[in-house]
Amino acid sequence: MTTSEFDVVVIGGGSTGTAVARDCAMRGYRTLLLERDDIASATVGTCAGMISSGLKYRDEPDIMEMCSKEVVHWNRIARHLIMKNPILAPLLDLSDAASDSSYMDSYSEHVGEREVPPMMFLTPDASLEIEPMLHPDVIASVYYEEYFIDPFRLCLLQAIDARNHGAQIRTYCEVINFEVNNNDEIEEVVFYNRISGATESVKTQVVVNATGPWAQKVAKSVGDELPIRLNKGAHVIFDRRIVNVGITVKAIDGRWIYLFPHENTTLLGTTALDTWEDPDTLVASFDEIEYLLQSMETVLPSIREARIIRTMTGVRPLVPEWKVPEGKVTRGYQIVDHSETGGKKGLISFLGGKLVMCRHMAEAVTDIVGKKLGKEVPCTTHETPLPGNEDDVDIIALSKEYDISLHALERMRARRGTEMVKVLAHTKEHPEWKTTICTCEPVIEAEIRVAIRDEFPQTLNDIRRRIRLGTGPCQGTFCTYKAAGILAEELSLSGDDFLVDILDFRAERWKGIRQSMRGEQLAQEELAQGMYACVGNLDQSDVDYDLKPWEEGI
Amino acid sequence: MDENEAFEYVKRTLKNEKITPFHLDELDIVKSIESCINCGLCINHCPVVASVGLDRFSGPRSIAVELSRSSPEFWATIDKIYLCTGCGTCREVCPKNVNIPEIVNIVRANIFEHRRDLVPKGLMLVKEIIDKHERAFEPWEDPAEKIESRDMRLERLNLPFVPDVVKENAKVLFYPGCQAEERAQEVREAAKVILDYFDVDFTLLDEFQCCSLPSHLMGDAKTARDLASKLKKKVKKLGVKKVVTTCAGCTSNLTDLSERDNWGIPAYHLLEFLVNEIGFNRLANALKNPDIETEVHVSVHDPCHLIRHTSRQVMDHALNILRIMPGVRVSESIAHDSCCGGGGMVSYHSPDVANAVVQENLEALEKTGAERLVTPCPLCTAQLENNLFKSGSSIEVDDLTVFIAQRLAKKE
Amino acid sequence: MDIEADLVVIGGGMAGLVAGTIAAEAGLNVVVIRKGQSATAYSSGAVDVIGYLPLASDPFSSPEEGLFALSRLYPLHPYSVIGYDESIQPEKILDVIVERTRDTVSWLKAHLEGTLAPVKGKFDSNIHPITILGTTKPTCLIQKTMDSGDLNERDDSVLLFVGISGYADFNSSAAAQTYLEDRVVSGSSPQKVAHCVLQVMPFGKPYNISSIELARHLDHAGSIEPIAEQLKKHIEQVGATHIAFPPIMGIRNAMKNKLKLEEMTGTTVFELLGFPPSIPGQRLQKSLETIFVKAGGKLLLGHEAISYTRDGALLKSITAKSPRREIKIDAKAFLLATGKYIGGGISGNKNGLRETLFDIMPVTGDYHSALDIVPSRSTSTLSISPVGQPIQSCGLSVDPRFRPVTEEGLEWAENLFAAGAILAGYNYAVEKSGLGVAATSGFNAAKNAIELIKEVA
Repeated sequence: MTTSEFDVVVIGGGSTGTAVARDCAMRGYRTLLLERDDIASATVGTCAGMISSGLKYRDEPDIMEMCSKEVVHWNRIARHLIMKNPILAPLLDLSDAASDSSYMDSYSEHVGEREVPPMMFLTPDASLEIEPMLHPDVIASVYYEEYFIDPFRLCLLQAIDARNHGAQIRTYCEVINFEVNNNDEIEEVVFYNRISGATESVKTQVVVNATGPWAQKVAKSVGDELPIRLNKGAHVIFDRRIVNVGITVKAIDGRWIYLFPHENTTLLGTTALDTWEDPDTLVASFDEIEYLLQSMETVLPSIREARIIRTMTGVRPLVPEWKVPEGKVTRGYQIVDHSETGGKKGLISFLGGKLVMCRHMAEAVTDIVGKKLGKEVPCTTHETPLPGNEDDVDIIALSKEYDISLHALERMRARRGTEMVKVLAHTKEHPEWKTTICTCEPVIEAEIRVAIRDEFPQTLNDIRRRIRLGTGPCQGTFCTYKAAGILAEELSLSGDDFLVDILDFRAERWKGIRQSMRGEQLAQEELAQGMYACVGNLDQSDVDYDLKPWEEGI
Repeated sequence: MDENEAFEYVKRTLKNEKITPFHLDELDIVKSIESCINCGLCINHCPVVASVGLDRFSGPRSIAVELSRSSPEFWATIDKIYLCTGCGTCREVCPKNVNIPEIVNIVRANIFEHRRDLVPKGLMLVKEIIDKHERAFEPWEDPAEKIESRDMRLERLNLPFVPDVVKENAKVLFYPGCQAEERAQEVREAAKVILDYFDVDFTLLDEFQCCSLPSHLMGDAKTARDLASKLKKKVKKLGVKKVVTTCAGCTSNLTDLSERDNWGIPAYHLLEFLVNEIGFNRLANALKNPDIETEVHVSVHDPCHLIRHTSRQVMDHALNILRIMPGVRVSESIAHDSCCGGGGMVSYHSPDVANAVVQENLEALEKTGAERLVTPCPLCTAQLENNLFKSGSSIEVDDLTVFIAQRLAKKE
Repeated sequence: MDIEADLVVIGGGMAGLVAGTIAAEAGLNVVVIRKGQSATAYSSGAVDVIGYLPLASDPFSSPEEGLFALSRLYPLHPYSVIGYDESIQPEKILDVIVERTRDTVSWLKAHLEGTLAPVKGKFDSNIHPITILGTTKPTCLIQKTMDSGDLNERDDSVLLFVGISGYADFNSSAAAQTYLEDRVVSGSSPQKVAHCVLQVMPFGKPYNISSIELARHLDHAGSIEPIAEQLKKHIEQVGATHIAFPPIMGIRNAMKNKLKLEEMTGTTVFELLGFPPSIPGQRLQKSLETIFVKAGGKLLLGHEAISYTRDGALLKSITAKSPRREIKIDAKAFLLATGKYIGGGISGNKNGLRETLFDIMPVTGDYHSALDIVPSRSTSTLSISPVGQPIQSCGLSVDPRFRPVTEEGLEWAENLFAAGAILAGYNYAVEKSGLGVAATSGFNAAKNAIELIKEVA
């Protein structure tokens, strides 16, 4: 057992955890982040990436105001990660227009600071011109704009910024126990290093439990109660931008459903199902897929013809409000200081929250951390740009200098901003790294190698989160084996590991593809089987393949 | 803000965010990219990839799977999207027939509309000519010189002169295309000779204009639609039953326009007209006693706009016609259906690419031992002729229309 | 222009072209129409007959062994379809099945001689070529350029995997590592494996190099010698006796290049099996087309069958459309070889599957109607496993003459036959039986079609 000492240990590498680690590190606290899987591998990786202005929370005006301010901060500190999506809410019925009009006013209160227009009405002709795929009987639509962000890069850059400020970021480390003294004070955090197989522990006084759906489990492991309400949400993902602007509509049960273009795909979401299952085993159900398609079909009849490439599923860690439908549960967050609730001193847990407010959550909790440590320092996370987001990038000039395609560079800019030059610099010594590996995105070999070297992925799936490898229409059919070869080289992996990496990534992609198999994905899958099974004979390989949680059972 | 102001605001936002909506009549083409399974078979057959390498032209797969899916980034495709010659080989080999050549045109149209500063200058020069003269080539300044050039060609090629006819309610509109109208006049003349020989009731356009394909290929969608609409009016006014052309590109484009704009009349290449309307018997009779005595050994080039944008059968017709000509020996080149590089407007801004593509054809041609090359497309004719000449080859190139006209027996 | 033929084959992959060639060689007027290339064109270029039983984990040592097992356990497998023939005694059925497949393999082998894809291999033993991942798979026929000679027989063989810088489709170090570990576990030869990376730049750039540009580059005279020179020092360094190349050794000159390399380096050189779209697959596709045209067949490219007419029990014509034209083709018999999901013979939405041209009822691998199966429910939770994906076994059910049948089990039309991946009842990805089933079913379905046409005449 190795031991070292930290001011604060953050458990959980999602949006909240990485934001907390960043804030703590920037304020000079000795910080360790422990994530049992990979950065953004859970809830935040399965959302639509909307940095909500708080539109849905009109019953909670404080939250709306906070959200709006946070959007302003994100624009300042994450310029390359952010995109603006115009959104239409088409109305087929006058009654749709009449109800809920109060939200328009609350939304419009803060639009100035976010540089978006107040909600506006558009005529049916105008609506159809902007979005020809709309139902021809639309009578009007409401127009507004929201910002979106790449959640994976956001979490990663927060983690990297934390690391740049002295924090330690450790993935594949699962917290299994705590050492608590007779005064109910936490003294050590014990965790299992899934890569080395060793159990390690670190000394600390303060632990921030930012584990989302697992918050209750972590609290229980130290003997504390932490009620939570877990709610499953699924998305359907289409192979390209099938609509020009976002579309929102009310579903069969009155919930709002959205269809948002996102990078080079389109996301349709989301469902809400209270759940008690192990979050790792959840996959989208036929019902959820139907629910989403059916609801969007009312305003976008041709949605059924669009090609679904996969589904994704995540779990919301809601504040435990009972006897209310999911839609009525507050979207604000709660900070539970266990020392004030009769639990272990030094443990602080989060409940609820949304992507947009993760920085705010971090600021609030870091203030508490500072008080506990007796070292109060002001927060600067809202004004310091994330790494690479300090300045704009001239893509055309870079393309000329490095002889790399404009489109590949444009996509890289969205992930790395000014840091992309570091990736490109490698190609001077290794020109062969300009080769495109993922043809859908596209991603060049240099970016894969830099991601492996600097961004601590362990598997192809982790690489996928870093650089969108395998997220395009072919879902990694072609890049899997090429990227696996590169990973094997960089990490000096054995042949068995090389094959297992391929099988693991195919399994992870299949998890989402299988549920929505239909249409053109049938041909895609026949091709993938043809490659990996028929030619590669991987179905007969005797490597040590671990069954994934969702592969067990039916 | 009232609704109109709101609409203007939204359009500005879309422009700022570089979101370029697809038009409704583009949706079918755009939807065809959904079928792409990224197999890359297209790359293995693309003549441009084969000639300049995958790095220079990322190929049809990248167009389907990468470059066409993210509208805010259309501008970032400019280093690749203009290198496609539009040959359609990708679509023909694709298991799903993803309509890549047309997707290329849509992406180019989006760039043309939103980032005209990034459109290659060579294309903008052609646009200027089209804007000014409604044809893709600068017309002759002196009409007398044009006629002189025409007569010289007629004499050199031993073709009779058939006068132009412009009249209403003829059965056939003969449409020569810009190249035959302004440059390769022998093709235009030869077609009239053939139509007259078979007593076809035909007319020409009163005011010639481009069929709009070059505008379509460079992304100038507005000009393309304007030209198409003008052409429809002229065609309807003439009251013809079908349109016959000697240009491969015009064949496929006029077929499209006729369908999209409801002309109610079909468009054919002269070869199709000869086989379907005149028939092999009459053709054989007409060709059996040619004035031309000597034996000739020819090879054939298949224009992409016929075999891949219309039907492979059209070149079957060409071969069958050549085979009934006495004294004509045909040797098929192994690259007979390989793109000549003349399409897609590539030679106007990247002639090195266009000329790299044609090398394959030249090499294969030499191996046939043929002395002449015939092809029913003026663009292919020009591209092959120029490059054969530059390579020092002695092979001469004829437009197939001219070749046929020369071998018609003298009418009694 | 409308046309007439004796036999129209819809689909131009292995099944369609073999069927068309058989019919053309029997003197019939045959047209093959094809809308696009497909699985055959991007296959690895090797011809699998039968590698594994479904769900099994030990490969068959030979196609013969496999077929005996298969026909006993899976009487409705496409290989087991043999037709009516009073002269076949029941106890001889297995023999007949094996013989028919053997005959197809011999026929194919003989016809591919002298083409761009000559093959080697025997019906009575499977070969285990190496793939670009460094794994091996059982197959029956490999292209001669893939012949690794005595690699596995010699005790002292040393295998060198050769990669090309900037060519990402093949990673020689990963392949070498994987292959070596497998050899260490099995104890078989070679026990020494190495890898190296060469510089080959068809366009002067060491990046984004594609298979096609390498293959075309190597088709040019003088291109193989510099590669041999580069290889020599690597060969010397490790004492290599055998060289594994990615499958890009040329389109026309692959065999020539292999021999030249062998001559210049004193080693045995062979191509690996590659992923789609592979150059050997392209060679195979082109060769099948050449064989068909040479036999007198007509290949009509860029045409998709979109509708049909029938008169009672007989199919009369199909309408085929090209990009901007349509033609009607009348024929005496028709053969459907349109493939599965890639080829487009079968398509599916969320509610079920359908056959795309004639709307014949497709069935699942166990011969239930597939009209209402939810595709996602016909899949395994495991992406890649010996179970495979049950949805890959769906397709058309045929009678013993290879004629697709309706729900009632009767032929959909007297003169419509089917062959290739459109057939149900087998899973080529896990059995390793794709091109074998295509060739055998095409071969036999064509013979039945010929018989029918000649009867009517």
